[in-house]
Amino acid sequence: MSRTTTAALGVLGAVLAILAWAAVAALVGGTALVGPLDTLEAIVDLAGQQTFWDTTGTTLVMAVRGLLAATVVGVLLGLLVGSSRWVAQALQVPIAFLRPIPPVVVLPIVLLVIGPTQQMGEALIFYGCVLPIAVTTANGVRETDPVALQTARSFGLSRLQVARRVTLPSTAAFVGTAVRIALPHAFVIAVVAGYLGGAPGLGQSIVAAAVSGDSARLFAVVVVLGWLALVVHELGHLLERRLLHWHTTYRKVAA
Amino acid sequence: MSALVGRWGPAVLRVVVPLGIVAGWWVLSRDSTDPYYPPLQRILERFQELWLFASVRSDVVPTLAILGTGFAIAVVLGIVSGLPLARTPVLLAAAMPALTFFRALPGIALIPVFVELFGFGDGVRVAIVALAAMPPTLVATIDGVLGVDPTLRSVGTVYGVPAWRRLLAIDVPAAAPRIFAGVQVSLQFAFIAVIASEMVGATRGIGYLTLLAQQTFVSADMWAGVLLLGLIGIAINGLMMLARRPLLGWYDGAQAVAREA
Repeated sequence: MSRTTTAALGVLGAVLAILAWAAVAALVGGTALVGPLDTLEAIVDLAGQQTFWDTTGTTLVMAVRGLLAATVVGVLLGLLVGSSRWVAQALQVPIAFLRPIPPVVVLPIVLLVIGPTQQMGEALIFYGCVLPIAVTTANGVRETDPVALQTARSFGLSRLQVARRVTLPSTAAFVGTAVRIALPHAFVIAVVAGYLGGAPGLGQSIVAAAVSGDSARLFAVVVVLGWLALVVHELGHLLERRLLHWHTTYRKVAA
Repeated sequence: MSALVGRWGPAVLRVVVPLGIVAGWWVLSRDSTDPYYPPLQRILERFQELWLFASVRSDVVPTLAILGTGFAIAVVLGIVSGLPLARTPVLLAAAMPALTFFRALPGIALIPVFVELFGFGDGVRVAIVALAAMPPTLVATIDGVLGVDPTLRSVGTVYGVPAWRRLLAIDVPAAAPRIFAGVQVSLQFAFIAVIASEMVGATRGIGYLTLLAQQTFVSADMWAGVLLLGLIGIAINGLMMLARRPLLGWYDGAQAVAREA
């Protein structure tokens, strides 16, 4: 199938899906199920309000700050775990224990301790992202090419130099992938923190729209959330390729 | 002596550190009067009073039932709709934009919409869990089937295997490792969705009780709830790992052999 056919089919599918939505909304009637046109109208209305842009900005800032903290700590932790058998063994059980516990479970604790603030959201994002980043980084350290390591050592590089010149660059691809995967995750947690925990941002906008019974705005916010999530996802891919274009795994993809 | 430390040290550490953390928590929090951080002893007492087994019937069972049903529906729907999508390029191309949007949309965002439309019965919650948990399995099934080695399929065609049997006997097993990974993520999503759905507007369930305890500042109960939810998270994750052996043991074995060769 040519690219144009694929694109045309995609457009057709999207239009059909929206038409189906409109048909169901028209059939059901009432105010609860908002049709696509009313939703679009509500989105346009939202876009005209400064507060909407502010809340969106808050959510994004929250996600980025939480993720940055998680990246710094996660990479340091991963380097330690990956390079020292002692640290790896010491932290194995705590990490295996905490990893399957999602941020929603921890939410009541951070909410109790910090309160419904932006910091609470950032703490939650930090919790949700730090362990996956640490584990992936540790795997990256262990996967460092042994030949490159031995070459560096036989050239008389010190441990620190080996770490800086061989291990770190080689691990960078793993870190890049981990952060790219964590980015949409961070965005979702930022929304959850607002929706369930009352942190500022788009999550809170959902609650406000739902509580005031403004279905059109509720639908608008949800659709905007979907778009933003998509944008964040794509941005992650783009950044990863930009920042790591020099790495062998990415050069292969490009070739 | 030092050789002994080098050999057994890490293994000992592995046992000592977790025990040390729990012991440290116990001792440090023993005389705590801080309302936020109650003594661990008190948390465990409340854990026992609440969850062993007073509220099991009224709150734990409903939560797990919704989780299980929603997850099962998500997996079945995800695989059943993923297979034909992956094998029909026209359908796949048409569904891709909607699918991409649906996949990116945070599952949590579905909760208020569903509540607005259908109210807050258990059936609605099952639907929310199922929908929130489906995308990973669906996408993994599509990716998995698209990634099946074309040679395998050609062999099936050459031997005159009918299309539906090719799907079941070649595509599904070949895509199984990918699908399994998707199902694993789906379970995580289902777990998150069920807790989140209980934290807004439910009147029972573990998530409801835990957030209620937080809002009413009964912090020992809240910690006990978090402990139970965490244990459930670990348990379902462990179950998935256990399920891997019977389902994918053949694949892991083949991979191990291939690595050694």
